[in-house]
Amino acid sequence: MMTQKNAPYLLIAALFALGAVMPLVLKQYHLNMLTEIIVFALYAVSYNLLLGYAGLLSFGHAMFFGMGAFTVAVSLIHIPGLSMWSAIGLALAMTTAVGFVAGGLLLRHKGSYFALLTLAFNSLFYAVATKWHTVTGGDDGLSITRPDLALGFTTVSLAGIEGFYWFTLVIIGAAIVFCWYFTQTAMGQTVLMMRENEERMKFLGYNTNVSRLILFTFTGAVAGLAGAFYTLHFQFCSQSAISVDMTTTVLLMTFVGGTGTFWGPMLGVLVYVILQNYLSDVTDRWPLFMGLIFVFMVLFIPGGLTQIIQSARNLFAGKRGTGKPIEAKEASS
Amino acid sequence: MSDFPVFFLHGLAYAGLLFLVSAGLTLVFGMMNVLNFAHAAMYMLGAYFSYTLLQATDQFWLSLMVCPILLFVVGALIERFLLRRVHAFGHVHELLLTFGLAYIITEVVKWVWGNFPLAVNIGGFLGDTVEIVGITYPVYRIFIFVCAVFVGTLMALILYKTRLGIILRAAVNDSEMVNALGFNVPLVFMGVFAFGAALSGFAGVIAGPLLSTYPGMAHEILIDAFVVIVVGGFGSLGGAVIASLIIGELQSFGVLLFPKLSLALVYLLMAAVLIVKPSGLFGEKQ
Repeated sequence: MMTQKNAPYLLIAALFALGAVMPLVLKQYHLNMLTEIIVFALYAVSYNLLLGYAGLLSFGHAMFFGMGAFTVAVSLIHIPGLSMWSAIGLALAMTTAVGFVAGGLLLRHKGSYFALLTLAFNSLFYAVATKWHTVTGGDDGLSITRPDLALGFTTVSLAGIEGFYWFTLVIIGAAIVFCWYFTQTAMGQTVLMMRENEERMKFLGYNTNVSRLILFTFTGAVAGLAGAFYTLHFQFCSQSAISVDMTTTVLLMTFVGGTGTFWGPMLGVLVYVILQNYLSDVTDRWPLFMGLIFVFMVLFIPGGLTQIIQSARNLFAGKRGTGKPIEAKEASS
Repeated sequence: MSDFPVFFLHGLAYAGLLFLVSAGLTLVFGMMNVLNFAHAAMYMLGAYFSYTLLQATDQFWLSLMVCPILLFVVGALIERFLLRRVHAFGHVHELLLTFGLAYIITEVVKWVWGNFPLAVNIGGFLGDTVEIVGITYPVYRIFIFVCAVFVGTLMALILYKTRLGIILRAAVNDSEMVNALGFNVPLVFMGVFAFGAALSGFAGVIAGPLLSTYPGMAHEILIDAFVVIVVGGFGSLGGAVIASLIIGELQSFGVLLFPKLSLALVYLLMAAVLIVKPSGLFGEKQ
């Protein structure tokens, strides 16, 4: 009983501990990859709050990711001496505002309509990013250098990958934990119940439109934070950060990992980035393989990798004769 | 403004192409309630099939007849073996499936035909120019518009004047009842989806010589077609006609009058329609 309740906290602590020893074990190349995985993990977690928790299929999540990425790049270039914290703060403020306005327009529609409109909005942002050459750099993109991190009592240089890895681990890790905490709050539970039965929630007196708008804005800001770190990690930002391909990427990651659980998408990111790095060495056709895996999962394993793991675990538990774990869990709570 | 008639005709030609693409999209959406993200990918497939066929035979008319049939088969197979399976899981899964298919088709196209533009030239009468209202104008662009008018009329006649059209419209309202009356509704839906695919293939063959054939063409037309069905109203054939004309002309004159804003104009129109009348110009209230 106690272990059930503490399990997420133990998992979080274990993941942080694991992340903390990684710089001692991994080479620079792999540390870069791990940083990328952590950044995309936050992006996928924010996407899953929409898809898995609220049941909203968005094809425009990259507009927030890209907006965060561009805000950091543009502000670091145009405001000399801007601190790391202010740049990230600006990105958060910007994506929150965009999320609120876009959400107000987009959330009037549901299902297919919503999916279509988010795609159109994403294309609009992409078109602007491509055409507004003076600000966004157009096809050339923007190069930046990471500013040092002021901690009040001391200043840490983030120029090397190790320092930046620590910074990413702490900030992005905290953001992911905060997202998890959000799903446990009354607000997060409201979103879940709204997906199951919106009519009833309305009868119970919840303003479902406001809840959805808050969720949409929140996920937008979180994706913006991930985008900000994307720019900081690569020290470069181009219009690909705001393209529909970036939405496709997060959709593949999230779905392959599994939309049914909070941690599933992070697993998806891990698998995706590792596959991308190794498959692209072997064959140029790796997006085709990703697409085939995706369609196969949509058809046969809608729960993604998480579902496979759970079935495997059930099978294993069944063989040992401990009964059916899912029913046992419900009886104990 | 001596350019005015030329740009007007350019707008009509693009509107014709846009209608051919969005008609299939809106038909499938209106009948089956499936928003087919793979529609534009099938359009691209049509263009590439046509390219290969033209390389081999150099017969444009043959390609215009064969490619839609090929796409009809592709569409029927997709509906029968893939889409029908996920129907029970709901809309999100249908969207994800068609989206995944679009992704795969694009990758396959890049693999088979390469990731660069291919030019399609047509000779003969269609490649000529003709004198109208005092300007010399390519016959091919007029041909596109004529094709669109022909297809639009044909669709309207089938839907509203034939027995098949009655069954189709009834199946949308109450598929179980129509099924109980002895009509094979799953077969009807398969036919609708395959017809939509054939239409996209037809549009793809036509688009080849106008725009060039390249892997990004699907995405480009997809957004415009989406804007057409948002502005025209979801599932409305008449709305698709009007919206195609508006957007075709807007694209054409946008380049002439506001070159810097031209890309954003279409989106601005869509945003305006969404704010004023979210169901689109001819859409039914949800």
